[in-house]
Amino acid sequence: MRRLVWIPVTAGGLAFAAILLYAAISALKPGGEVLAVPIEWWPSRFEWHNLRLPFEETPFARYYANSVFVGVTVTLLNIVTCTLAGYSFSKFSYPGRNVAFVVVLATLMVPLEVIYVPLYALIYDLGWVNSFAGLIIPAGTSAFGIFLMRQAIDSVPDELLEAARLDGAGVIRTLLTIIGPLVRGPMAALALFIFLMNWDSHLWPLLVASDDDHRTLPVGLAAMQANNLGASGIPMMMAAAVLALLPTVVLFLSLQKRFVEGVAMSAGLR
Amino acid sequence: MAFVLAVAVAGTGALTACGGDDEGGDGNVTLTFWTHTHPPMIDLNKKLIAEYESKHPNVKIEYQQIPNTEFATKMLTSLSTGAGPDIINMDDNALRGEYFPKRLLSPIDPAGFGKSSVEEVEAEYVPGTLDGAKDAEGKLYGVPSEFNGTAFAINTKHFKDAGLDPANPPKTWQDVVDYGKKLNAAGHKQAFNFLYLHSGWYNQWFQTLANQTGGSILSQDGKTATLTSDGSKKALQLWVELARTSGIADPKTSSRDATAPYQDLASGVQSMAIVYPWSMDQIKGSNPDTYKDLAVVPLPQVDAAAQPVSRVYGYFWSVNAASKRKSEAWQFIAYLASARDRWLTDVSFVQPVKGWESSAPAKQIPFIDVIAQAYANGRYDQVGPHWNEVQDTIHKAVDEAVFDGKPVDQVLTEANEAVQRSIGS
Amino acid sequence: MTTTTARPVRVPGSSRAPGRRRRVHGRDLVGAALSLPALLLFAFFAIYPGLRVFYLSLFDYSLTAPPEFVGLDNFRFLAEDPRFRQAVLNSLFYTVGTYLPALALALALAVVLRRRMRGLGWVRLLYFLPVATSWVAISVVWRLVLHPDGLLNETLHIDVNWLTSSSTARWALVIMGIWKETGFFLILFLAGLARMPEDVHEAALVDGANTWQRFWRVTFPLLKPITAICSVIAVIRGFQAFSPQVVLTGGAFDTEVVNLFVYKTAFESARMGRASAVAVLMFLLLIAVTLVQLRVFRRNDV
Repeated sequence: MRRLVWIPVTAGGLAFAAILLYAAISALKPGGEVLAVPIEWWPSRFEWHNLRLPFEETPFARYYANSVFVGVTVTLLNIVTCTLAGYSFSKFSYPGRNVAFVVVLATLMVPLEVIYVPLYALIYDLGWVNSFAGLIIPAGTSAFGIFLMRQAIDSVPDELLEAARLDGAGVIRTLLTIIGPLVRGPMAALALFIFLMNWDSHLWPLLVASDDDHRTLPVGLAAMQANNLGASGIPMMMAAAVLALLPTVVLFLSLQKRFVEGVAMSAGLR
Repeated sequence: MAFVLAVAVAGTGALTACGGDDEGGDGNVTLTFWTHTHPPMIDLNKKLIAEYESKHPNVKIEYQQIPNTEFATKMLTSLSTGAGPDIINMDDNALRGEYFPKRLLSPIDPAGFGKSSVEEVEAEYVPGTLDGAKDAEGKLYGVPSEFNGTAFAINTKHFKDAGLDPANPPKTWQDVVDYGKKLNAAGHKQAFNFLYLHSGWYNQWFQTLANQTGGSILSQDGKTATLTSDGSKKALQLWVELARTSGIADPKTSSRDATAPYQDLASGVQSMAIVYPWSMDQIKGSNPDTYKDLAVVPLPQVDAAAQPVSRVYGYFWSVNAASKRKSEAWQFIAYLASARDRWLTDVSFVQPVKGWESSAPAKQIPFIDVIAQAYANGRYDQVGPHWNEVQDTIHKAVDEAVFDGKPVDQVLTEANEAVQRSIGS
Repeated sequence: MTTTTARPVRVPGSSRAPGRRRRVHGRDLVGAALSLPALLLFAFFAIYPGLRVFYLSLFDYSLTAPPEFVGLDNFRFLAEDPRFRQAVLNSLFYTVGTYLPALALALALAVVLRRRMRGLGWVRLLYFLPVATSWVAISVVWRLVLHPDGLLNETLHIDVNWLTSSSTARWALVIMGIWKETGFFLILFLAGLARMPEDVHEAALVDGANTWQRFWRVTFPLLKPITAICSVIAVIRGFQAFSPQVVLTGGAFDTEVVNLFVYKTAFESARMGRASAVAVLMFLLLIAVTLVQLRVFRRNDV
């Protein structure tokens, strides 16, 4: 009886992963075979050249580098700002703390798409249109990240901190030497989460930075969909999509354990 | 890690270099120029920019292309907030629907063209062709980068397969249906299809048909929605007949891939399509074999006996009202416009100057007389306030009638109310 | 900087009693300062624009002309606008259709996959993978999956026009949504189960409860807090969906969700006031739903 459960569960998992496998194989098919009827599971030959198409026909390498740069910077910024704020909200008491925390959480409920209007005007006044500053700085912190880190640091026993304080450790040193090592899991979760979110960010980069020097992958992908690139279209789009999926999937695979632990620690709640 | 570092260094360089488009006191001028993406056009723009820069060493042109699907949004947002490029290239629907009413653009500067008055600039163009770039008071805001008339393409090989004479193309939409059935019988299942891309495309097909059936979206004064008029109903009924009830093609199999709008015609799957000069040029580039089989013929009509009606639209170069370099911008536009023979040769973009159809490069285009005829019979689209919403409404109405099979009367009644709400608020 | 201000206080151990109060206070000030980087970023790039959205919802504003005060006109318009009503219904359908099955599936999978067993890590991973994909890129892939001649139709030997019919397009988005989102909640549920004391289960086993009873009596009640969080996150994610609709249907065939409506109203039609009014309504709705959810879960908790 128990054994039988594994069959559908494993089959379901394989079905989930099959979509990605299908994407990967389609990206390597010769153009005519992608939508062949009946379906061609295995290409007659692997067109490795497809993977080079996006780089040859569009500034894909530049989009990629931009996405990596923006993603890494935004992630680092978030780790710093969210950890500091989470620490602050969790382990110190001062007037206004709870109000600030609730206000931060409330911003989760506002559709970003609308904030973009006044935000765009602000970024324009700052002279950050078509600049990395405009892409990075407004994304420098996140409500979800602060929430995550606060929950994680909440679970660090006060006695540990008290002991550190009696040992003469300052606020920052306590963070670096006591809390930091204990919340490495949640931090990894945060990093992965922010990087994923940023890698996905579509509308804001589109509005604020649209020249090729600053265009990121999602905007570039959308642009490639819209460009009239003729018969090479579908294999190239699939190749581009698969290449765009790769970093986050690889990152996820390598950080997976920590991610799950991290979420466990912070989302496990009281 | 080294990679990330390299990217980071490259990034910070750009970070500090940004926002530096205002020139110092050395007399250098930087102009920004945005267009949508159409690869042959981009190539020629780049060449012309390079030439212009070498002739005017103090001028630097920053050229950017915006993805077609995001073009309208991006342009409107950046211009509306006072940002945006010095020079834009925009279609007449958007110009008249959004840009003129919002006073985002600056009227044409004849001095940039070496002329003393706007009338002198206008005198070079075929009368009526600049109407797409005029506001309600008749003030001119740009010159055309491309001017398109609607024609029809048939696959002569398919015609022969079906025992049809390519020299006798369909003259009416009823012919299209009749021929379509024969093409179907010969194994060409996709005889004729519309292209179902974004709302702008839905709107252009609808207006093409409505021009012939006497339909309209708005009343003459632009204050009332007229989608429930007989002519408008006939237009949508004709669409439904062509796309759905006649069965000459399945609209659901129509390629919706903006990657290549005319993919089905170009790949030899589809037998007939409504086309523009640039689409033929694109097919020639992507599918030269199919291109050889295609013939361009006049747009079929509702009534073969009546005066034929076609549709025209244009893209126009214009200057941002907020630009600090207006006269330099107009000089550059004048240079782009002066390359009219190359626009025709390289990109099949028509600049409708007087006598264009008898110019040497025009003679090289095989179907030039058909296209010239289309221009002569052409009419600009109707445009009104909040036109994006109106186009979305048309899009929805057509989807419901053609794909969901809802009754034409019902969808147009709903659409009419929606249009009325849009223009009245 | 903060380190140096904290440091002088720590050195001598002599004056602990009188210094204690001031020292704690000083530490708290430093602690408060730690939230400043985040709070400043929030103030500039979220709260200020957010407040401006509330303000603009009372104006007719097209970006180019100065805003004109219209009171509650925007809200009045929305109250009777069929397109907005449809957008709310579309969002509701997408949210319920995607997240109810995704949560249920994730919970069921979590119960099965929680065990530490060889090979199980790999099965879990299969479900996690979609979480790591970006919406835009994966939507490009799903266009192909949902194509009339694509993977889904060809594998199941069906002939459904997933993306070009008002009766199926919404389901296409739901199918993709479930595929994409289940893994995310699976992670959260596994996290919740991992914290569950093993002996509770053992005790239930000894009691002779069967699998089903064990789940409902022991496991599920213990999972309440994490379920509460999951359902709150699910509603927020559901109502803020945007990219899949943009890439797959562009909002056609009754898939124009609220956020897409907001986006088009704001950026295509430049009706900033009206778009802001929609945002205000959505904000209030989400706050209300969240409070209700938390209350429901809390009450049952007792």
